[in-house]
Amino acid sequence: MALSPLATGAVTLPVEARKLRQEVRDFLAEERAAGTILGRPDSWLTGWDPAFTRRLAERGWVGMALPQEYGGGGRGNLERYVVIEELLAAGAPVSAHWVADRQAGPSILRHGTEHQREFYLPRIAAGECFFSIGMSEQNSGSDLASVQTRAERTAGGWRLTGTKMWTGGAHINDYAIVLARTEDSEDRHAGLSQFIVDLRAPRIRVEPIRLLTGEHTFNYFHLEGVEVGDDALLGRPGDGWRQVTGELALERSGPERFLSTLPLLTALVGQLQRAACSPEQHGRVGRLTARLASIRQLSLGVAAALEAGRPADVQAALVKDLGTRFEGELVGEVREVLPVAARFDATRGTYPELLAAAILHSPGYTLRGGTNEILRGIITRGLELNS
Amino acid sequence: MSTQSLFERAAAVLAAADETDATSETNKADGTDGTFGTGALGRPAASAPSLWRALRAADALPSLDTDPAVLVDLVCEAGRRATPAPLAETLLVARPLLAAAQLPVPDGPLTVASGPLDVRFAHVDTGSRVGPLGAGGTDDAVRVSGTLSRVPWARGADAVVVLTEGPSSGPMLLLLDAGQCRQVAGTNLAGEPRDELVLIDVAVPAERVRRVPAALVEEARWRAGLARAALIAGAARRCVELTVAHTSSRVQFGRPLSHFQAVKQEEAKLVEEAALIGAAVGAATAALAEPGAAEFPAWIAAAQASASVAEIARIAHQLHGAIGFTELSPLRLATTRMWSWRDEDGGEHAWQRRIGRRVVAAGGGDRLWPLVTGS
Ligand SMILES: Cc1cc2nc3c(=O)[nH]c(=O)nc-3n(C[C@H](O)[C@H](O)[C@H](O)COP(=O)(O)OP(=O)(O)OC[C@H]3O[C@@H](n4cnc5c(N)ncnc54)[C@H](O)[C@@H]3O)c2cc1C
Repeated sequence: MALSPLATGAVTLPVEARKLRQEVRDFLAEERAAGTILGRPDSWLTGWDPAFTRRLAERGWVGMALPQEYGGGGRGNLERYVVIEELLAAGAPVSAHWVADRQAGPSILRHGTEHQREFYLPRIAAGECFFSIGMSEQNSGSDLASVQTRAERTAGGWRLTGTKMWTGGAHINDYAIVLARTEDSEDRHAGLSQFIVDLRAPRIRVEPIRLLTGEHTFNYFHLEGVEVGDDALLGRPGDGWRQVTGELALERSGPERFLSTLPLLTALVGQLQRAACSPEQHGRVGRLTARLASIRQLSLGVAAALEAGRPADVQAALVKDLGTRFEGELVGEVREVLPVAARFDATRGTYPELLAAAILHSPGYTLRGGTNEILRGIITRGLELNS
Repeated sequence: MSTQSLFERAAAVLAAADETDATSETNKADGTDGTFGTGALGRPAASAPSLWRALRAADALPSLDTDPAVLVDLVCEAGRRATPAPLAETLLVARPLLAAAQLPVPDGPLTVASGPLDVRFAHVDTGSRVGPLGAGGTDDAVRVSGTLSRVPWARGADAVVVLTEGPSSGPMLLLLDAGQCRQVAGTNLAGEPRDELVLIDVAVPAERVRRVPAALVEEARWRAGLARAALIAGAARRCVELTVAHTSSRVQFGRPLSHFQAVKQEEAKLVEEAALIGAAVGAATAALAEPGAAEFPAWIAAAQASASVAEIARIAHQLHGAIGFTELSPLRLATTRMWSWRDEDGGEHAWQRRIGRRVVAAGGGDRLWPLVTGS
């Protein structure tokens, strides 16, 4: 019996990766000294800093896996992995370009027209063009194929009507890739298409949905008969489901699925270094470190598979379930290792405040990008296909 | 045969000795040299000597220069097959330690033991002015007394690699013939031999004694941890295979168990936990290629493998229902071994503390992430 999810050869990073990692660390040290990095948990969701993004882009670290002819870095996915894991581990503010870099860019490269590539990709790589994900709706969460947003043909293009929900950054980003129904069909996976929509176009209304902390990252995103040209269609009409599935593979497979709370663990280690540490505390730190390092190896395996063009949906689901559960477990363990009351109103960046941020964000870890229950279904389906 | 890789040839031998496979030939062989426990637990089918014979016959016995990655894969396979012989001890611990200490490496099954023993120079240098009388010898021949406990497969091994404190402070590595020790049989939770070796004034000639640096004692420790982790990785894989086979074939409420959401949710976690161990072992194995790089990844593998055992065994048994709790099901071959292996050579708490000390101690600043990335 071939159980592909268990086939995990170790991944050896390319030699250039070592030098690259050091370059990123040197850059991060400078930024830290300048006070731009507070080592926050969940910084890829809430760390909005376009100026930081542009400094990254100047070094070629945004869109770095996009081809050079479109302004990208032409580097491999494993090199990109090294850069983004360093940024995430440091809790750097990367949310502005995160979706553009991770999925919009690669999607446009893969499915876009030549005109679309030339128009969007260089700006993405320059850190000047930010994207939102327009998939979920009020009644379409896990069951994404049930989306109600419609796109109807017009003389010069399409008219989009519907309401997207949970759209991260719709109030500050430039574009959203919207999944809409273009045709009714018996097969619920048919008749869907993707559109690139300018978030500042007329007849778009963005309405905040505040997180339980009061922070504003989510939105309703109403499309009230938005007229777009033919050139807004991404890929082929009716191919939306297949495209979205590919996009989700990118969305689910990265190191942000286990590193969201790492800055809290780093802060804890910093606290412990200043105090006498008990064997019990050492043991708990060791437990988390071992799990972290093991999950990272699995995640590297996904990156290597994607780099080699092998399908990695099942492995990605597996890493995301393990990784996002770890993000939450870490918070629980940290509380036990060094019991301190979490305080959201403490000075930003201090240990009690980081702990508060990590706790208050914890419900999201295992929901966003597809819930863990759904991911486990993908894993067992993969097992059946393999047995 | 020659078109197959060493791994494939050896794996075929391990498969033939797999107790799970009722048609296995080796299974019925060798009651004679199998002085193993015959209770319900364990009942190892082949024994170390017969397995070694089978490996030699198939030209599948790894040599000293076999790629370490192949050795680790083989040990995983031995864990998966519940192979009744000290493959892990021989290939991943005893042989490399002997080679590092520049001692001759015997060809047969080996085991490893460590602990305090009474070690005296056989030929005391009476003219020496350094230290009290007996602190120096005219050569390194020694006489050893004491007890080594819970030695894996001592009954089936040709020789025992012993790490102990020498007479003139500093660790010493000795190579003892199995015949030089009295054996008191014991077993672990799976019925695998874990014997006591009683040494009564055993003479060890100087050419089988080496004074070794403390680093070699550390190496012995992480190698043992990695060997156990590789065995656990294999047994965990077996748990996944057996569980998937069971939940997809057993029908309740008119559907295979695997069609129920509650079953899927648990089964996925089982697969994940097993994959996690595989990845940790893989990383440590890759690090073996770089001198001095394997210690921390080996600790990680040992800690993660030991820590994952509880969850893997829990889910595999729960999804098997009552049948998995019996001698009828091969599941016990994997789970009882994992329950033993996780405690042998350390146990997760000891590994975790070691890792934690390194992470927290490392001279201020953030060393956690560089340790995790290995750079
Ligand atoms: C922080 C965050 C950021 C997000 N950002 C975006 C974004 O930018 N753009 C976007 O489009 N969406 C975004 N989302 C939405 C996200 O994709 C959905 O929340 C997710 O897919 C789950 O949908 P739901 O919330 O409607 O839950 P539901 O689908 O209603 O599920 C509720 C519960 O039921 C379980 N469940 C549902 N169906 C099954 C089943 N078949 N079997 C077993 N269990 C099941 C789920 O696992 C979950 O536990 C974001 C979500 C979060 C939390």
